[in-house]
Amino acid sequence: MSMNTPRRPLRSIAIPYLLVAPTLILVLMFNVLPAIRTVNDSLYKPARGLNSAGKPPQFVGVQNFQDLFDDSHYMGTRFTRSFRNTIIFALATVGIGVPLGLLLAILLNREQPLLGLWRFAVFYPSLLPLIGAASIWSFIFSDSIGLANAILKSVGHPGLNWLGDRNLVLASVVIVNIWKQAGYFMIFFLAGLQNIPRDLYEAAALDGADSLQQFAYLTLPLLRRTLLFVIVVSFIFAFQTVEQLQALGEGGPADSANLLLYLIFQNISERRNWGYVNAMTIILIGVVLTFTLSNFLLFERDEKDS
Amino acid sequence: MSYRFRALIVFVISLLLTGSAIGQGSVVIDFYFPSATANDAEGIFQGYADAFQEENPGISINPVFTGSYTDTRNTILTELQGGGAGPDVAVMLSIDLYSFAEEGYIVPAQTFIDGMEDGEAFVADFFPALMSNGMDADGNVWSIPFQRSTPILYYNADLLAEAGYDSPPTNNAELVEIAQALTTEDRDGLLVPVAGGFPIWMYQSFAIAYGQNIVSEDPTQVFFNTPEAVAAVEFVRSLGTDLGVGPAGGAAWGDTPTAFLAGQAAMIYHTTGNLTRILRDADFEVGVWYLPSGPAGEDGTGYGAPTGGGNLYIFDDGSKSDAEMDAIWKWVTFLSSPEIQADWGATTGYIASNASAWETEPLASLAMEYPHYLVARDQLQHVGKEFSSYATITIQGIINGTLQSILTGEAEDAQAAMDAAQAQIDGILAEYR
Repeated sequence: MSMNTPRRPLRSIAIPYLLVAPTLILVLMFNVLPAIRTVNDSLYKPARGLNSAGKPPQFVGVQNFQDLFDDSHYMGTRFTRSFRNTIIFALATVGIGVPLGLLLAILLNREQPLLGLWRFAVFYPSLLPLIGAASIWSFIFSDSIGLANAILKSVGHPGLNWLGDRNLVLASVVIVNIWKQAGYFMIFFLAGLQNIPRDLYEAAALDGADSLQQFAYLTLPLLRRTLLFVIVVSFIFAFQTVEQLQALGEGGPADSANLLLYLIFQNISERRNWGYVNAMTIILIGVVLTFTLSNFLLFERDEKDS
Repeated sequence: MSYRFRALIVFVISLLLTGSAIGQGSVVIDFYFPSATANDAEGIFQGYADAFQEENPGISINPVFTGSYTDTRNTILTELQGGGAGPDVAVMLSIDLYSFAEEGYIVPAQTFIDGMEDGEAFVADFFPALMSNGMDADGNVWSIPFQRSTPILYYNADLLAEAGYDSPPTNNAELVEIAQALTTEDRDGLLVPVAGGFPIWMYQSFAIAYGQNIVSEDPTQVFFNTPEAVAAVEFVRSLGTDLGVGPAGGAAWGDTPTAFLAGQAAMIYHTTGNLTRILRDADFEVGVWYLPSGPAGEDGTGYGAPTGGGNLYIFDDGSKSDAEMDAIWKWVTFLSSPEIQADWGATTGYIASNASAWETEPLASLAMEYPHYLVARDQLQHVGKEFSSYATITIQGIINGTLQSILTGEAEDAQAAMDAAQAQIDGILAEYR
């Protein structure tokens, strides 16, 4: 008994570490080490040219990053476009998709006939596999045989080249993304709305607040946590977009709708581009972190102010 | 209960014993193949593997379906770059040659051909055009044609006849004339599938017809900004703008045969790989002909199309035994034999790649019934090499992006855009010169 006593604290110190060890090792192996390697490899160019197989890469400092922002460089041309598109795409899908999800949640949070059907109709796109849903849309957007143009033509419009017009194709991808996600966000907002006690609204109504005022001063502030979550998640979704592009014209024409993660995927297969692929990955992570952190900071500051 | 358990153990042990008995003394060949068509490629290859194993009891074939061409290439590159074994034999695009030769993953078929008794006759039986992408600048054969294709002109013979044309267009001037005559409010006269991620293949048809293939024997040379190359893309662009016979920016690859079958397009450029499907599904008379000649063809030549499709590649890092290499070559010659080529061509619509396959059943009778297949074969005498160079994937990306920006009107000045692209391409290829 007395011999065991000094061991006990040691064991109780060790056990928690042992318990988290499997997770920790996995995170180290599959997240931390690859991240370190990505940073390292972004500073090298792989050996290129004749008989270069098996030769070591060459250290180039930040040259890869400079090439990416050089519009006359073959990778820079593609990167600058995709970078710009990624920012536009994220702002558009979040800026339209999140308010739309909120609007749908408010509309479907009141008693009405066929409520379940309406909710299901709005939610079901998020149940479909992404690549399948995007493939359906590629038929809808098809130039000569698509549904979208059939509708436009029936009202006398000559039809649009949804996936072939460089000024329109990014918007087409945004439409698909919003259609896919708005119902998913609606579910979170619905849950949030149903947590708000009804008597608050009754009190506000007694004080003479109209429905717009109730929304601005009651609903929005009380949904703050949900809103933060949905905005952060939707930004991250936006930066992860790949499958839609695979089905909707592969980011073309001429990268008019290409996004960073898909561009990275497109360039992985040729060894000469690995330095760029790593550099682009770091930039993408930087962008995601910036957006996520600024969202948290904005909401945090707001929280303290109010 | 215990009886059942004992029976299970006996069963498992006997399974293990027979398994290891089969394994002893036999060579296993891992064979990766993509499928770009909706046919049951897996079933067909399993059938070929079974037939081969019956002839060669010491060799077993392990066919692995690896998705699209791109998936197949990426799967193999990922396996090999990560230190994995990779396949022994694979079907990959004929233009993937330099990507894999550069990395030292594949070995030339020439070594095996030199060791054959009738090596010269073996090579001579393949259509020369289909060998061009499998050979390096010194004439060494690296890969063997397997499932090959080329673009051809499909036309709705009923619509042409209604408008008073009893034969298809043979040059660009006739092509434009007929296309304009057949364009209506809800029908395109001509669809050329250059929209989407891969305009380079169709574009090459026009470049060759204008007298300048953008690629040569030398994998360090690309000719993308010559006057002919520029004129070719300007002609393609004008189809959707000034001439108004199709959508601006071109048609999408997958929509093109669908629109043709639905009667919404009178003529289309598409791959011979779709011939079987179009003949089967069309409810009108389908005609096929060579892609019309460009201005280069005013003296009677100048038909033009690139080749396409996949070849058989042999993988070795130097560690494989002679017995393994012999088995690999046996499988490659089996798949490229006239018998298999005739069967594969008839089942899928790919162009059987050796001349004697066309005298072999079932292809011989199919070609008798549908002369369309012979048009595809005979056009081979006019086709050029498909685009391939060192750093193929990157350079193809530059060319595709440039073509897209010209075709969609973003780059109005085609010459300037192509000059800029050529400078980027030369910058990369300089590393190989």
